[in-house]
Amino acid sequence: MRKIGLLTTAALALVLTAGQASADGEVRVLNWQGYGTDEAWAIEAFEAATGYEVVHDYFNSEQEMLTKLRTSPGAYDVVLINSAFTGQAAEEGLIQLIDPQVISNFGDLSPGLRDAVEFTYEGDLYGVAWTWGLTSIAYDMTEVEPGNTIEILWDPQYAGRVGLRDDSVENVSFAALATGQDMNNPHDLDAIREKLRALKPQIRTYWASEDEWNKEFTADSFDVSTYWSGSASRSAKAFDMPVGFMIPKEGAIAWLDGLSVATDAPNLDGAQKFIDYMVSPEHYVRWDTEVGAPASANNEAINQLPEDFFNRAVMGDPEATANLQFMAPLTDEQRETFLEIWTETKAYFAE
Amino acid sequence: MNTHRLLCRIGDGFGKVFLFLVLFFLYVPIVVLALMSFNESMHYQLPFEFSTRWYVDLASNERLLTASFNSVMLALVNTVIATILGTMAAFAFARYRFRGRTILQLLLFPPITIPWLIIGVSMLVLFFWTGVGRGLHAMLLGHVALSLPYVIIVVGARLASFGPELEEAAASLGATPLQSFLRVSVPVMLPGMVAASLFAFAVSFDQFVISYFLAAPGISVLPVEIFSAIRKGFTPEVNAISTIMIVVSMSVFLIFARISKFGGER
Amino acid sequence: MRVETRRRWAITGLTGPAYLWLTVTIFLPLSAMLYFSFQKKGPFGKHTSEFTLKHYEAFFTKDYLQALTWRSLEMGFHTTALCLIIGFPAAYILAKRIKGRWREALFLLVVLPFWSNALVRIFSWTIVLRPDGFLDRAVHLVLPGIPPIDLTDSYAAIIIGLTHSYLPYMILTCYLSLQAIDDSLIEAARSMGARAHTILWRIILPLSIPGLAAGTVLIFVPVIGSFFEPKLLGGTQGAMIGTVIEEQFTVVSNWPLGGALSFILLAIILLILGVSSPFLKQHMRTS
Repeated sequence: MRKIGLLTTAALALVLTAGQASADGEVRVLNWQGYGTDEAWAIEAFEAATGYEVVHDYFNSEQEMLTKLRTSPGAYDVVLINSAFTGQAAEEGLIQLIDPQVISNFGDLSPGLRDAVEFTYEGDLYGVAWTWGLTSIAYDMTEVEPGNTIEILWDPQYAGRVGLRDDSVENVSFAALATGQDMNNPHDLDAIREKLRALKPQIRTYWASEDEWNKEFTADSFDVSTYWSGSASRSAKAFDMPVGFMIPKEGAIAWLDGLSVATDAPNLDGAQKFIDYMVSPEHYVRWDTEVGAPASANNEAINQLPEDFFNRAVMGDPEATANLQFMAPLTDEQRETFLEIWTETKAYFAE
Repeated sequence: MNTHRLLCRIGDGFGKVFLFLVLFFLYVPIVVLALMSFNESMHYQLPFEFSTRWYVDLASNERLLTASFNSVMLALVNTVIATILGTMAAFAFARYRFRGRTILQLLLFPPITIPWLIIGVSMLVLFFWTGVGRGLHAMLLGHVALSLPYVIIVVGARLASFGPELEEAAASLGATPLQSFLRVSVPVMLPGMVAASLFAFAVSFDQFVISYFLAAPGISVLPVEIFSAIRKGFTPEVNAISTIMIVVSMSVFLIFARISKFGGER
Repeated sequence: MRVETRRRWAITGLTGPAYLWLTVTIFLPLSAMLYFSFQKKGPFGKHTSEFTLKHYEAFFTKDYLQALTWRSLEMGFHTTALCLIIGFPAAYILAKRIKGRWREALFLLVVLPFWSNALVRIFSWTIVLRPDGFLDRAVHLVLPGIPPIDLTDSYAAIIIGLTHSYLPYMILTCYLSLQAIDDSLIEAARSMGARAHTILWRIILPLSIPGLAAGTVLIFVPVIGSFFEPKLLGGTQGAMIGTVIEEQFTVVSNWPLGGALSFILLAIILLILGVSSPFLKQHMRTS
């Protein structure tokens, strides 16, 4: 009995001390896993240049990111925030002001993205535009003649062959686009409900992550599915999958991601340098050519890509992207309503 | 008598086939998991192509290895604490009738009923308010709490099969309550305690929701890493570490079982 | 009087540490959540506290929430029933029909799957069940020419995955109870001419009720609240009350609704256990 007690004490001591890692010389980053900041070569390059060590923590949903920021003040330096959430994070005091002067690449950022009102709160800058992309429709090039309309999701030809992400805002937005409404402020919710319910015979399965999408696609689960632009180019490039990506005439969902500095960041200097490196062409070009990335907010970086690259040829083309709607911040009530509509639809699908 | 024996034999034969089928069912995904760690395809494509590349990759994946170490340590400490505290409580429930007993027993259900996610979020907020914070110590607090109901229920089931007669006999022979507890009750409870410690270990080793919310940046445990890996790309590296884990724990467990005569020879 | 005081100390000393631990890490956080479930808004942002019952009302006014709860209960019944049907005979054979070393080895094999990660196991099932997966290939080896077998994204897949995850619990708890039954009791009954099914119904089953009950609780209760298995294995069939609750925390910050739904679920479970416990107790007494 005494031996067990000793062992426990020893192990407990080990467990407790392991909980207190040092914060000196570290840059702590909160991001989705596998989203650019944690590429091994990038961390290596940054550490070699600045002497700071990079430590990552991940989230799996925006709400989780907010919860982590709220409950761990002083734990993070840099955090990736979708522009639709930057204002809320700033309002709650989770992130701090950024001085554009300290970001040397700031001038090269595309003005339309850099100065997006979503990155500001009460007129001050809280996020640095990093990447943007589209959520639209991807298809199997060997089976599908895509056309140019969002109605492909409802096309009986693909009954039982459609994939959707299990995401309330995204699906409500698609239904809003399909019914000719403003996806950021739909007024006719009943029409959206009906449109979503009409997907019942179409839908094969939900996907939750890029990896899952790739696995479902390789297992030939669906022919047509919603997908992210950056991921589609990655699937085609890195894994040689016959994935095509279509931007419907009704529009697609555009999103914009920014990097912010957490309130009480223990390593402010490291945070600023990290963000500066992340928005630099040297990081982006390597990221997109070797791994595959969403479009960069940095014009200089886009211009350094080979001309036939998706992010330069398609995403860099102002005409193709003219009728895109960027995701705007939603109120809590809107999010709750969207979730309710989607949950109700899922319950109907499962009947 | 002969026909009876014959029937018994046939019954035993069926029994063994049945047991074999059950084991087969239990091991299908585990064998697949291990096989896939040796399969070349990153997307788990068949046909099978032998490769050890995922083990090579794993060797340089410090994150996954540290997380595995943390997981094992945490599970071990959790098992010791939860088994001791839980057994004590189970014993009290089995041997004493007292006011509030039923309520205390009912209170064991919330930790297993309420989705872990809710408990995890609530813990995160409370630990934040009280300054406990996040990290392995916070995870330990949570894991023990989740393991306790399992320990109490399993040890309790064992004790319910034995009356208090043995302890009464010991008392009538002049043993002090402590002596009778250690010399009589503990041996009776032992198979239950061993089973309960298995539960406790598994609860902690497998627990990702609570750990997920209570992990501090840079300090994580295996299930958290696996959960995140699902997002980034569930590579066969995860299968490789799982395979190693199951082989290691199998060996540790076999030694442990030999020593404790678990499985019982009554 | 001294005996009474000592008894009280013993009870406090034995249950105290476990319940103190549970109070700090479970009951206090849950009380906070219970409080929020009656609030209009969650703990973050600038909101004043405002009492409301609307999150509880939502459950009774919204059909889809009830439908999903019913689905979750069904899932719980089906999984538990399968675990009982498979687990009890397996535990019986193990405890009573197999002797010595073999028993030990087989028993270890039964509990060993606990040590592999649940997520990875569930993920393995998706590889087994998908078209052109292991099951499909194995069946086609035996019966070539039948249409491809695809169990992914179905209710059956959820039940298979859950049964697989929880079966060892049932075998373990039943085994412990069965092991405690004295073989000589069964021998005596047999020598007095009792038939096999009489022995089963009158001796073995009643005596193993503690194990059966423990196993049932350990399976039924968490399965109802499960959300990850249905999500990964169920596809469009994966909508359950557990997933709804989860989404209140991960998709929106609607803690009050998530909390309220959890407490309703807890109440339903306690109700079911409450209704069934007198029946179990009676069975144990008549044995």
